[in-house]
Amino acid sequence: MIEFAHVTKSYPNGDVVLDDVTFTVSAGDFLVITGKSGAGKTTIGRLLIHDLVPTKGKIIVDGEDLSKIKSKNIPAIRRKIGFVFQDFKIIPDKTIGENITLVLQIAGYDPNKIKDKVKHLLDMVGIKGKADLFPGQLAGGEIQRAAIARAIAADPPVLFADEPTGNLDKETSIEIYNLLKKINDDGTTVIMATHDVTLIELNNSRHLHLEKGKIISDEEKKKHKTEK
Amino acid sequence: MNTALKNIRRSPYQALAAVFIVTLTLYIVGIFSLVTTASHSILLSFETKPQLIAYLKDGHTTDQVAGLISTLNSTQGVKEATYVSKQEALELYKKSVGNDPVLLGTVTDWGIVTADILPASVEITANSPQSFSNIATVLEGSDIVSTTPQGKKEIDYPQDVILELTRWTNAIRMAGLVLVIALAFVSVLTIMIIISMKISSRRVEIGTLKLLGARNFFIIKPYLQESIIYGVIGAIFGWLFTYISVLYSTPFLAPRLGSIFTFPIPIEIMLLLLGGMVIFGLILSFLSSLFAAARFVNRSK
Repeated sequence: MIEFAHVTKSYPNGDVVLDDVTFTVSAGDFLVITGKSGAGKTTIGRLLIHDLVPTKGKIIVDGEDLSKIKSKNIPAIRRKIGFVFQDFKIIPDKTIGENITLVLQIAGYDPNKIKDKVKHLLDMVGIKGKADLFPGQLAGGEIQRAAIARAIAADPPVLFADEPTGNLDKETSIEIYNLLKKINDDGTTVIMATHDVTLIELNNSRHLHLEKGKIISDEEKKKHKTEK
Repeated sequence: MNTALKNIRRSPYQALAAVFIVTLTLYIVGIFSLVTTASHSILLSFETKPQLIAYLKDGHTTDQVAGLISTLNSTQGVKEATYVSKQEALELYKKSVGNDPVLLGTVTDWGIVTADILPASVEITANSPQSFSNIATVLEGSDIVSTTPQGKKEIDYPQDVILELTRWTNAIRMAGLVLVIALAFVSVLTIMIIISMKISSRRVEIGTLKLLGARNFFIIKPYLQESIIYGVIGAIFGWLFTYISVLYSTPFLAPRLGSIFTFPIPIEIMLLLLGGMVIFGLILSFLSSLFAAARFVNRSK
């Protein structure tokens, strides 16, 4: 589904944010990427949606080599990856319902079914009846849920959640984690980037740990090695 | 469409500026379309009327007239030469005064207007005003063309009028064209700047939409719609002001141009003008948004 092969991302000033990173994610996986701030977690997400271009290496998403992708095909790749941004990127002067509607319109969803779909999504993420509220009228955890609802609105095969529990209390963090687990159980491949210790302790899925742009550990990789 | 209307509501003064400049441009387009059509019709009516009239002496014979008409018909530049008898001249006079009993009963120095006091004439239609002097030379050589007490042949030909009218018509067309092009340019520039400013002010939102997988067309569609709304509303207002101007000037124009045009101007013609103006408005707004969109696409590469 997703393949990072010897991917390096560096900037002209010499900063190397990802250093020869190689991993694969299969359809239906739940991958947790951990690491301190600046370890390269967000960079992996941005490379995945072609918001950044790798300096070296190859990234394949759903069979498409992103290094060879034509610019007109980038939107299609981005529609395959639902993204929960660290800063939410919820459009402030649109209601929660309108924010989700945008993604459905982008995906070419049947206009007659959009209202029901929005209602269903809000219900699913636990903010039922908040469609007509603006982001400023929601609590932090509710905005996070709205961001997840928007990310999964068009039923993308992959969901990338970048620090989905940042600044949330422990109880809400666990709720968000459980929500992502549920989305994964429904068949969506989920990649969660986090430095939240609570989530790391909860996680019993594959766990990839980054430090200064390098993969330090890949639990599944370890498991495979043990099996070998 | 909702986003486009919301964009307009958010910045009403920018919308007002865009609609105002399109209205002004299309008002000028409307007025100049009518003026150009009118001047063309006036010119055409002059060109299709007999352009040279040679008044004949009393007592001419049929053979003499036939000889003159034959000579004229073989003269280069003559389209048609027709004899108008005294009786026909009276009929034409009656027609021109509209059977007004006061005018028909006018007592002249020669008495009440009758066929006897009106001269017979030969009316000549020329292929072009350039042939007038050549035809006039032929008429001046004729014995049956009457002579004024000053010894000049009685030949009327409005060469100067037609040439002057042609010159004015061309000048009006050119001035109108230059004005319309200048205003169209200002309109395109104004709408383009307004749309570009709006795109620029929402670049964070646009950035998010791109990350969510929106294509460029999806992003610029509300702005294209907004621009088209300006074009259509501007065209409708421009047309309304044109129509009001036409109705206002009808009492002045009708007695002067009533023989060439129907007054008030038929609604069918005005609706045709509205159609043309809406198309022109759409072209202007489409071009403006196209340029704004091209700038956006270039910047977002």
